[in-house]
Amino acid sequence: MIELNNITKTFPGVKSLDAVTFEAKAGEIHALLGENGAGKSTLIKTIAGAYIPEEGEIIFDGTTRNWESPKQAKDAGIHVIYQELMLFPELSVADNIFIGKEPRTRFGQIDYKQMHMQAREILDRLGHVLAPSETVKNLTVADQQMVEIAKALVGDTKLLVLDEPTAITSGREAAVLFERVNNLKEQGVCIIYISHRLEEIFEIADRVTVLKDGQYVGTKNITDIDKDRLVGMMVGRELSDIYPTKSKRADDVPVLTAHDLSLTPRVKSVSFELFPGEIVGLAGMVGSGRSEVAHALFGSMKRDAGSVTVNGAPYNTPTPKKSIELGIGFLTEDRKEQGLLPLLDAAANITAPGLGEISTNAIISRDKEFVIAENEIQRFAIAIPGPRSDVWNLSGGNQQKILFARWARVCHRVLILDEPTRGVDVGAKVEIYKMIRRLAGEGIAILVISSELQEVVGLSSRVLVMREGVMTGELSGQDVNEKAIMRLATLQDAA
Amino acid sequence: MTTFGSTIAERSPGLVDVTVQKWALPAIFCGLLIFATVISPSFLSVSNFQNVMTQAAPLMIVVIGQTFVILVRGLDLSVASLMATVAVIATAFNTQDNTMIPVIFISAILLCTIVGFINGWLVTKRNVSPFLATLAMMIVLQGLRFYYTQGAPAGVLPEGFRHLGTGKYLGIPANIIACILLFVFLTFVLEKTVFGRKIFIVGGNPTSADLVGINSHNVTITCYIICSIMAGIAGLLLVGFVGTVDNFVGRGYELDSIVAAVIGGVALSGGKGKLLGAILGALILVVLFNIVIIVGLPVQAQLVIKGVIIIGAAAFFARKTRG
Amino acid sequence: MSGLTFRIKRTEPAIMMVIALTLLIIIIGFFVNERFGTIRNFLNLFEQMAPLGFLALGQTFAVLVGGIDLSIGAVVTASNVLLAGTVSGNDAMMMPALILVLAFGAAFGFMNGWITVATGVHPLIVTLGTASVLQGLVLLYTLQPTGSVPFWFEEFAYGRVFGFPISGFVMLLCFLAVGLFLKYSQTGRAVYAVGGNPEAARLNGIRNNRITILAYAASGFFAALAGAYFVSRTGVGDPRVGDPYTLASITPVIVGGCLLGGGRGRITGVLLGVFMISLLNNLLNYINISTFIQWVIQGLIIIIAVAVYVDRRKKP
Repeated sequence: MIELNNITKTFPGVKSLDAVTFEAKAGEIHALLGENGAGKSTLIKTIAGAYIPEEGEIIFDGTTRNWESPKQAKDAGIHVIYQELMLFPELSVADNIFIGKEPRTRFGQIDYKQMHMQAREILDRLGHVLAPSETVKNLTVADQQMVEIAKALVGDTKLLVLDEPTAITSGREAAVLFERVNNLKEQGVCIIYISHRLEEIFEIADRVTVLKDGQYVGTKNITDIDKDRLVGMMVGRELSDIYPTKSKRADDVPVLTAHDLSLTPRVKSVSFELFPGEIVGLAGMVGSGRSEVAHALFGSMKRDAGSVTVNGAPYNTPTPKKSIELGIGFLTEDRKEQGLLPLLDAAANITAPGLGEISTNAIISRDKEFVIAENEIQRFAIAIPGPRSDVWNLSGGNQQKILFARWARVCHRVLILDEPTRGVDVGAKVEIYKMIRRLAGEGIAILVISSELQEVVGLSSRVLVMREGVMTGELSGQDVNEKAIMRLATLQDAA
Repeated sequence: MTTFGSTIAERSPGLVDVTVQKWALPAIFCGLLIFATVISPSFLSVSNFQNVMTQAAPLMIVVIGQTFVILVRGLDLSVASLMATVAVIATAFNTQDNTMIPVIFISAILLCTIVGFINGWLVTKRNVSPFLATLAMMIVLQGLRFYYTQGAPAGVLPEGFRHLGTGKYLGIPANIIACILLFVFLTFVLEKTVFGRKIFIVGGNPTSADLVGINSHNVTITCYIICSIMAGIAGLLLVGFVGTVDNFVGRGYELDSIVAAVIGGVALSGGKGKLLGAILGALILVVLFNIVIIVGLPVQAQLVIKGVIIIGAAAFFARKTRG
Repeated sequence: MSGLTFRIKRTEPAIMMVIALTLLIIIIGFFVNERFGTIRNFLNLFEQMAPLGFLALGQTFAVLVGGIDLSIGAVVTASNVLLAGTVSGNDAMMMPALILVLAFGAAFGFMNGWITVATGVHPLIVTLGTASVLQGLVLLYTLQPTGSVPFWFEEFAYGRVFGFPISGFVMLLCFLAVGLFLKYSQTGRAVYAVGGNPEAARLNGIRNNRITILAYAASGFFAALAGAYFVSRTGVGDPRVGDPYTLASITPVIVGGCLLGGGRGRITGVLLGVFMISLLNNLLNYINISTFIQWVIQGLIIIIAVAVYVDRRKKP
């Protein structure tokens, strides 16, 4: 059905796809696997015509089709469900489902009656009760995800790409989705399926292709491979080489306690403790309120209730500024939107939370700034010409290290890491894990939020699990494993 | 249309482009000076130069303020209206007594601070788009001013004001001295101080700014206040220069100041730009206007040229910054 | 859920507010001046609000795709002068000239859209620049009111059919057409999509550039229509007639609940916005409030309108 030959796509600083070859047949479910930053998203966007590769060719349905726009790919019968929601918040559910493909009367105008009827039918098929006339911005994230999936069932889809569709849906919806996907497969639709959850892959996929650091690793029949070998293909090395030894508490007195933390409607009465030198994982589906817990602690979102103590002293009206002064650091999830200062140099990026430190009488000392930045660049082995170099053209890994350096400088008590290795290659990942371990060794309490279960399991000596804003459990020692986490995160057996 | 995932790269130029951007402005400015001198040799005389500079000074002061606001992703359309309002205030005391000058100054600056604060407050705390907030401010000020003057301002200025506008110290016109002092001081603030760094951080990425403990709202509001105060000072100098007050002192400065900043490479998307560039942009604009007159074109041709230049300059910088 | 509550729930708060304010103005009007509440006054009002209606329609297109059109005033002026100048006594030229002028407006808007799309420069700057050029060219052509149109063309501004003003009728027709277009055509839906989430629109197979250009072309077209209207009202081409209308065109759009930044807004809201503002000006004239205070009120209305519909989305 689709064949990609030697596709190369580069972005400044990164070769996102390096001569990648990929092929999927009609009537199969083909899983696409790889770590974060392996190039899966770029590959999908190339298939969808959203990126135009520098080299290589795309053969779809037997003819060479090098898309110039998403519209061409769409018209040819390719539909992609992206990880990020591609919805129009001000339009209705039906509008969103049918955008660009609205049913029309013979006079050419949109037939709303027909459209609402068909929308209701599609939503019914998905087993979902949603009014087609509801405005999308009023829906919950899970319902919005359903709208996104409903879009795929409109029109004549020959190739359907699903980019982590179950990342935020609950178990019941996932089951419905699998059923739909299997139906489509039987109708001869080619399905490309991306997921982090290996169990899922073994459950529904026929074949699997693995990418690593922008390169093609291999394609296997799902029956010819087991989970460990699949992981080996994805990371390119033994698991024991990736994660450092687990850290231990340096002290039995908690450095931070949170009691009944609430941030309506995302977080409901969450309590936990962090101890010096311990790495704690915070797991849960996207939208389970993980990041919001971090924001509520740090003071970047206003919480409605709850009491927090830091080093025994109450800390109840947090602001980022006060948190930084108390030695709490927060590496946010979205590097581009919430972290990096792309227009400023590396030194300014590193010293941003500690302007007081590099200035006297409100005047910035370029020398002090330079020396501090130079030290950090060495300490974290950041591949950059110098403190005065730009950061926008660095690889994802090095950008992340810059932000790491930023927060490691100011935090001496607690470091919160939200998706610390998103969009980072395997090499940089291992280095970042080492850094996290080293900081824990220095007695800092670390809270790691991640959607990669492997990462949570590999790093943490204790794991907190959330589901729909509620803390559903705490695992430690031998109980820390993927299955247990999944069970708490979805409240059902992952097997 | 921007494509997903490469926004950072798109905003930042390569090495060659940096060089081009750095020298394009001075080169264009010198080119214009040479061109003007060739067609009219008297252009480069000291007196004409002073003349051009005196004309340019109020605009340059407004551009400095406008740059602060643009750096934090804003825009201030109320500057011209504020200039005229301040001018009306200057005559409202209707006295020729020079000792009243400080009173006039203080009341003018006070008004500007309030106006700037309201602009900034609307933009940050109420999340009103800068365009609309300052547009509304412009109309409100205009209405109040006209209502107060009933359409025809009257009243005299203290004699000292004429000095500010037209006087010379050490052979240099007073308003140029004021302009240079403000420029040097605010360049220092922007490039060397913690507050300046905060402006660039907020303009470059407001979300990051909040997360590293910088109160982006306060920084933004302060920038609007600075902009309003600059407009007020420019208004007082312009009144002193013209000698009389009408309801339209500074008319067109809101757009000219934005045009000048854009020519000077200040990015409307925020976080990028230098005061020196903005000042050069203002000078280029004023020299161009002069050339239109020297060449003997009708004044209206200035509009055509201004329009072409702003689109050209914006496109030039937009293309370069997209890499 | 009964049909009625359902409808009210779905009506935008903006529209509710405009309706409330409009009613308030009408009630005050009845008390303040006995001539305000007459049918005659309301018919006059429909005549007076026509140009603002045309301009607001145009601006709505630009705002819906996430932009703004600051060249509206210049296009009004240019089409005004162009129409009167081309006809200028030669009555046979009237209809061809009218078509020419409307085509010119659309073409100018097309150019605005094209420059915006091709250069990636913010539409604020693009339209400001093209407006400056166009205004300059008009003033180079003439500094004085110029040209003329045949007497019968004044019917457009002053004519009545069964007592109902033709201009008001044309305006309502335009609103109806645009409203139907935005609601019932694929392109109309795409206008909302492009303004609401450009990246998603692109990935959903919408050709963003075409939609954007089309929106600016529509804006230019309606500005030219308003320009033609002013010729019919005054009989000459005035090189400064459009000056106040760029800003005036924005107020009813914002008041009517369109979101600066794109993707949200209804034509009924804009129509109500136009009606409310015309009504307000009408009332203020009756109670003899100075133009200057009217300005203040206009500014405050903008602030109140946007500060009330606070939106947490990105600002343009």
